[in-house]
Amino acid sequence: MPEWPDDVAEELRQHLDDQYRDLRAAGASHDDALRAMADDVNAVRSRRSGLRPELIAADVRYAFRTLRRNPGFAIVVLLTLALGIGANAAIFSVVNGVLLRPLPYRDADRLVVIWGDLRRPGVNQIPASAGEYLDYRDRSHAFEQVAAYDTVGFNLTGGGEPERVEGAVVTTTFFALLGASAQVGRTFAAAEDQPGRDDVVVLSHSLWMRRFSANPAIVGQTIPVDGRPTQVVGVMPAAFQFPDRSIEIWKPFLLDAEALSDNNRGSHGYTALARLKAGISRQQAQADLTAVTATFKADHPGNYRNGFGATLRPLQEEIVGDTGRPLMVLLGAVAVVLLIACANVANLLLARAASRRKEIALRTALGASRGRLVRQLMTESVLVSAIGGLIGLGLAAWAVDLLIASAPDSIPRIQEVGVDVRVAGFTALVSLATGLVFGLAPALRASRAPLNDALKEGGRAGGGGVHGSTGRALVVSEVALSLVLLIAAGLLIHSFTRLQDVAPGFDSSRLLTFRLSLPESRYTTFQKGQWFFDEFFTGLRRTPGVRSVAAINALPFSGLGGSRSFHIEGREEKRPEDQTEEQLRIVTDGYFAAMGIPIVAGREFTERDALNQPRVAVVNDAMAKKHWPHESPIGKRVSFSTNEPVWYEVVGIAGNIKHRALENADRPELYVPYRQPLFAGWTVRPMYVVARTSADPASTAAIVRHEVARVDRDQPISDVRTMDERIGRSLSNRRFSTVLLALFAGLALTLAAVGIYGIVAYSVTERTHEIGVRVALGAQRRDVMAMVVGQGMTMTIVGTAIGVAASAALARLMSSLLFGVSAVDPATFVGIPLLLIAVALAACYVPARRAMRVDPLQTLRSE
Amino acid sequence: MQYIKNRMLDRELKKGSAELLILSLLEDQPRHGYDLSKLIEARSGGILKFRVASLYPLLYRLEKRGWILGRWIEKAGQRRRRYYRLTPVGANVLASQRHTWREFVLAISRVTGVEHA
Repeated sequence: MPEWPDDVAEELRQHLDDQYRDLRAAGASHDDALRAMADDVNAVRSRRSGLRPELIAADVRYAFRTLRRNPGFAIVVLLTLALGIGANAAIFSVVNGVLLRPLPYRDADRLVVIWGDLRRPGVNQIPASAGEYLDYRDRSHAFEQVAAYDTVGFNLTGGGEPERVEGAVVTTTFFALLGASAQVGRTFAAAEDQPGRDDVVVLSHSLWMRRFSANPAIVGQTIPVDGRPTQVVGVMPAAFQFPDRSIEIWKPFLLDAEALSDNNRGSHGYTALARLKAGISRQQAQADLTAVTATFKADHPGNYRNGFGATLRPLQEEIVGDTGRPLMVLLGAVAVVLLIACANVANLLLARAASRRKEIALRTALGASRGRLVRQLMTESVLVSAIGGLIGLGLAAWAVDLLIASAPDSIPRIQEVGVDVRVAGFTALVSLATGLVFGLAPALRASRAPLNDALKEGGRAGGGGVHGSTGRALVVSEVALSLVLLIAAGLLIHSFTRLQDVAPGFDSSRLLTFRLSLPESRYTTFQKGQWFFDEFFTGLRRTPGVRSVAAINALPFSGLGGSRSFHIEGREEKRPEDQTEEQLRIVTDGYFAAMGIPIVAGREFTERDALNQPRVAVVNDAMAKKHWPHESPIGKRVSFSTNEPVWYEVVGIAGNIKHRALENADRPELYVPYRQPLFAGWTVRPMYVVARTSADPASTAAIVRHEVARVDRDQPISDVRTMDERIGRSLSNRRFSTVLLALFAGLALTLAAVGIYGIVAYSVTERTHEIGVRVALGAQRRDVMAMVVGQGMTMTIVGTAIGVAASAALARLMSSLLFGVSAVDPATFVGIPLLLIAVALAACYVPARRAMRVDPLQTLRSE
Repeated sequence: MQYIKNRMLDRELKKGSAELLILSLLEDQPRHGYDLSKLIEARSGGILKFRVASLYPLLYRLEKRGWILGRWIEKAGQRRRRYYRLTPVGANVLASQRHTWREFVLAISRVTGVEHA
């Protein structure tokens, strides 16, 4: 049998040559001869085209056979595509789960959050007060249902360890608004927001499983919640969570006369939710809401000095927040990776098409039309991309698990991420598009090759020029695309290291922190709370390994904060802007020493700053500079109450600290001692305890629990973490997207290097003969080396230049994600291209060495 | 008319008479593909004509069955060509097919009333 396809091609070529020669000998012109031969071929061809199912099936079978014949090619192509498509499917899964998929509530697109606006500068998104909630509920016409909630912690005691559980107080409309009902028992009845009837709770599925062993009989029983006997009325299904899965218990929001009094009208502590009536647009609802809030100032003149407004925001937007942007950057990055993968595969196909030209010419001679050939080649591409897509989807399913496990829990809805129908559909579409993108150009080019040329062209595959220009353009774009990704990753990594170097303003090492919430039912007065802390701290200070201990209401990097308006003695407030509101911290004595926050001037609080002593305050440096820019604040007085001023004298200036995130600017902060409460009715508040240890702080947690239990055996502690862990968590979102982008950039670099290697190696093979001749004619080995490397490096340099320009153009998109680094950071814009050029050099070097070893005698002999 | 003739011939060729033609032509001496196609056209007075698209697949089919054998042969001053020769198996097939064909033609002639020369 003749060897397929070389021998057959040679034989056919001879036949056509002979025929041509005879036709010419018989007197036909060149054109007539060619036409006569073409007629022969076309007559057969016309019977063989058409888009028939059996032809498609045959194409698919043929494509499979072709792939099996060339397993190396198939593996490289499938792997490249699977990585590219898999990365897209995985990141799309996250985008889908976090951004696209509707929230898991009935008609979630009709759910909105109502934010108030007190028309004061810097205060435009405030929660609602109880009174405002009732007005929204009863006076508006656009809402089917209105609810309000606030997240709070509850201490669970009785039957086992005392436990601090995150929960929420919710209006009785809350569950109905979300369209959720209990799995066991019921949710709240309308009257359970009234005094005496509100000692009921609904449990989350997870809490029910964990603490009550999923016992359905718990419904109807009474358990101690914050020390008060409380009846469990229901258990929610496992799928229900609101606002996120950390909330494990719900209690009714008590709407008594006190909560609804005018005094409480300004206590904006509750997030108001609403469900739009079917068919009502957000604009209509907004107009309706504006009409309702317009009456507030007239009805409650004491509370809305500057008037009041409210705006609606879709709940989905509220929950997802600003996660969208980094996710979109990542999605863009994987799309670029896929483009590079496509370019690589297209290049491989072009190279293979060149060596398949005779096969294709033969099929043409045997009657295949051009359309038929393109279809055949496209079938192969799409088949390859479909298989690649399937493998990619498998990779994605695995990668998504990995992503969820390693994703910071601060990414909203991350637990809802998974491979679903939409992800599968997306992957199928991407795979199809991929197959068309990388397959079309090579298919068109291959099918256009003139029949006689291809058949006549001798043993060498040849045609390097045709493949070469497209191939080189593809490699140039690969280099440019991967450089854009690499620079983006470089900028993010640079930002991240900058951020890690930021000093938080205190000593975060060996600092154990935890939350302690004394229940108001047991610690009914401020003095009782003070007694607890004195006892607890005295015991803890005696413990070996604990060097100092203190407490604060809103610990840095705990996510908590809080501001309060105050006024400065001797300054008049003429305009609303003159009202001052700054971050307020309540700290026990020794807090600054325990945290390692320097006292820049004056002193910090001591146990002598007691209730019956002159009231004192400490300000931070930023506050001192803002409010006393030309004088020392020490000795100045501030008051928090508007009617009878109670003066707090500034006795010290503390250093600035980072409170929420290392990247934030320093904010003014005001500290007052725990022993000198702001107003008379002050009771105990949840506090964070900080303990400086001499050994590993994590190992001190057990001692701390023991000491707490010694003072009050029903008192749980929660949110136990070292300070370093908290700071690490504040960086976790950024670390996550940086690591992912770096990963994708690395993948892009690898693919680009493979692309450069592939085309240089291919051209060396193509040019073996030419190189042999050059060497025979006296070219030095290093000339050959320079020629080959030069070819590869030309493409690299052109691609790099385009990539640098594109990155500079895209800089504005990046700048909001950066910290302490310019979006056109010179170090990155020089260093990263150098890295890429080094990798490209290595990729060229391997084929260049092979070119150097070309034996001129052997090449010439084979001719 | 010409169209119908072509269609009939095509069918006949596919049915196997084409095989008989090839085998017959290879009985005396090995020949290459173009030679075969020229001979068929010349000896049939231009009525039988092989297209490239049918001839070579047919040759490869016969070779696969072991009836003929192709060899690359280089002759001085010429480029190498693939010559096909009849194998002993092919010779047996030829004898049997030729016999069948004669009987077939005879039978047709008797029925259609055309005198055998």
